[in-house]
Amino acid sequence: MTTTTPAPTETAMLALRDVTYRYPGTHRDVLRGISASFTSGAVHTIVGKSGSGKSTLLSLIAGLDTAGSGEVSFNGTSLAAADRDRYRARDIGVVFQGFNLVTNVSAVQNIVLSMNIAGSPVKDKTEHAYALLERLGIGREDAARPVLKLSGGQQQRVGIARALSHDPAVIIADEPTGALDEKTEEEILGIFTHLAHVEKRCVIIVTHSKRVTQIADVVLGIKSGKIGVVRSDR
Amino acid sequence: MYILQNAARNVWRNRGRNMLLGAMMLVVIATTVIAMMITSTSSGIIEDYKGRFGSEVTFTPDIEALREDASADGDGGPMRLEMPTIDAEQYLAFGDSEYLKSADYTASTGIVPTDLTVVDEDLGGGGSGMPMGGRPGQQEQEQEPDDAVSYMAQLMGGSFEEFDDGSRVLADGEMPDELNEVIVSSELAELNDLETGDTFTATGALTDPDGGDPKAISYEDLAVVGVYDDLTEEYGQTPVQNAYANTRNQVLTNVDTVLENYDSAYGGIQVSAAYYLTSPDVLEEFEAEVRAEGLPEVFEVTTDESAYETIVAPVEGLKSISTTFMIVVLALGGVIIALLSSTAIRERKYEIGVLRAMGMKKSLVSLGLWVESLILTATCLVAGLALGALVAQPVTDTLLAGQVAAAETATEAPGTMGGGMGMGGGGGGMPMGGGAGGFGPAGGTTDAEPLTELAVGLSPAGIGQIALVAFVLATLAGVVAISRITKYEPMKILAERN
Repeated sequence: MTTTTPAPTETAMLALRDVTYRYPGTHRDVLRGISASFTSGAVHTIVGKSGSGKSTLLSLIAGLDTAGSGEVSFNGTSLAAADRDRYRARDIGVVFQGFNLVTNVSAVQNIVLSMNIAGSPVKDKTEHAYALLERLGIGREDAARPVLKLSGGQQQRVGIARALSHDPAVIIADEPTGALDEKTEEEILGIFTHLAHVEKRCVIIVTHSKRVTQIADVVLGIKSGKIGVVRSDR
Repeated sequence: MYILQNAARNVWRNRGRNMLLGAMMLVVIATTVIAMMITSTSSGIIEDYKGRFGSEVTFTPDIEALREDASADGDGGPMRLEMPTIDAEQYLAFGDSEYLKSADYTASTGIVPTDLTVVDEDLGGGGSGMPMGGRPGQQEQEQEPDDAVSYMAQLMGGSFEEFDDGSRVLADGEMPDELNEVIVSSELAELNDLETGDTFTATGALTDPDGGDPKAISYEDLAVVGVYDDLTEEYGQTPVQNAYANTRNQVLTNVDTVLENYDSAYGGIQVSAAYYLTSPDVLEEFEAEVRAEGLPEVFEVTTDESAYETIVAPVEGLKSISTTFMIVVLALGGVIIALLSSTAIRERKYEIGVLRAMGMKKSLVSLGLWVESLILTATCLVAGLALGALVAQPVTDTLLAGQVAAAETATEAPGTMGGGMGMGGGGGGMPMGGGAGGFGPAGGTTDAEPLTELAVGLSPAGIGQIALVAFVLATLAGVVAISRITKYEPMKILAERN
């Protein structure tokens, strides 16, 4: 894998500058002086071995954690100074590897809850949620069932639907197709591509899947806490 | 708004653990309801008692002091107790005190009705002996000197207690109100064909305490305004049987009528007074006032403590038990609820992590959990009020029975009877030392019955207080939740989970 260090650009929607991160109680930096930029209208994938720091990087981008040093900024504003709850609720949509759904409610209620937290202006949120789930291949009957009664693939799609529910500018996904069959994987990747290329959103996907990297406009690789551009079609 | 809806749904979704928490809250609230019902009702009874029974004042001569005086003045011969007296005008003046809620007087004197036949006339009349004090209806002892005037009946003013307890019933006419209006027993009316509207005259005599000639008196134109049926025993506990002692010959009137012939220089008209303080707390002020108006130091001014002990002590004991119990339950319940809440929140850590990862602010997560606590508490409040209301009465009855038994044991113990002394505590009016009038305050032994039933209830204010307690419990649970949540970072929670 040949990489070059990506420099933050002026037009980047999301930018990282010299970001380092170390887990509390440890003595090793998981991320070491990472700089990268993510632009709207492109699908970005981050690849790397297990334990290379992909998910840690994702959590910093998602505003779930803060960098030890350096800066993560969204539209030019440092997340350290921003209201990160609001950022998570409105500006980004996260598809977690472990789904992280609210388990004691139905699929549709998960979507509605996310829209409520984001302060979505949609009037009929429930109907909007059903439509979104239907678009991802979950019918009304399944949508009304508790999420734990759904299969892993269905839960993954609920997670994706939730990430899209409040119309975020950035979609961040951690292994979003890991639990999906090939056909559904294609459908989902089609959705991500559409979001990036047609709706001009910034899509960031952490993956091991070659198929996912094939549809990416920019492929970034992480190795030993360092990041580099593996491929860029932009 | 969605926070409220979500909280309401969560209460049902998490019904398993909420039932445990709710059960604990229900116990605490129901116990608080019971305790507060008992406490508030007990407080009401105690206040009511203080306002009515506990404020009756008694003037009791200090017999011990009198003995010591007599012993010091004696010449070694038989000791003669000179019972102190209080002038009738003084008693009337005492009744004007601002510290009194009311002063009830009764007066009586022996009479000989002119041209009337009395019941048991053949047994002869009675003497003009002085009653040993005490209130009307109490047993009287009589002295009958050789030159005593013989009376055939009694003219009694203000003595209508038997009409309250039902042993005398007005059969015809109305109660006496104006001067010289009287009511007579149906037996006396039948013997003399007396009807309402008839009048009669009675004579009598006032005795000279210095042994001089009696002073003749008469009651002219006593107007019969009513006839009463008398269900009391004719002679009651009086050992002497004659026309004077027969209760059927009691002509009942108001105090003013009897006192028409009152002369402070003479005896023969017995008066009793019952003073009721505005509050037991003003006893000292009242005593200072009556002392200033001439009440001799030998009289002790007391309230009816034995009645207080009999009636109020069980209620106070009950109140004390319920208050202590409530405090213990609230303290223990509070700790248990806090622990259960803490556990419940820990179990929902993942859910909280997800909500936080979705961007829900800590304050909104906390609000949601607090609203859940409130909904749960409100449900328990309704159930607790119902359960408490259902159980409070039997619990009260059981506790009160124990307290009454304890109070009875205490009052039966030697030396605990207050104000008894056989003398009726009315010794102040006993003209044993040759005083002027038979004028004394009511008082002495109490006939107060211990409270054996307590109808507990809960006022709107009480419900408000319980709601406040419930609110505090909910907030306590909420505070525990909030303090936990502030320690939770979504990434950490999700990382642990994943």
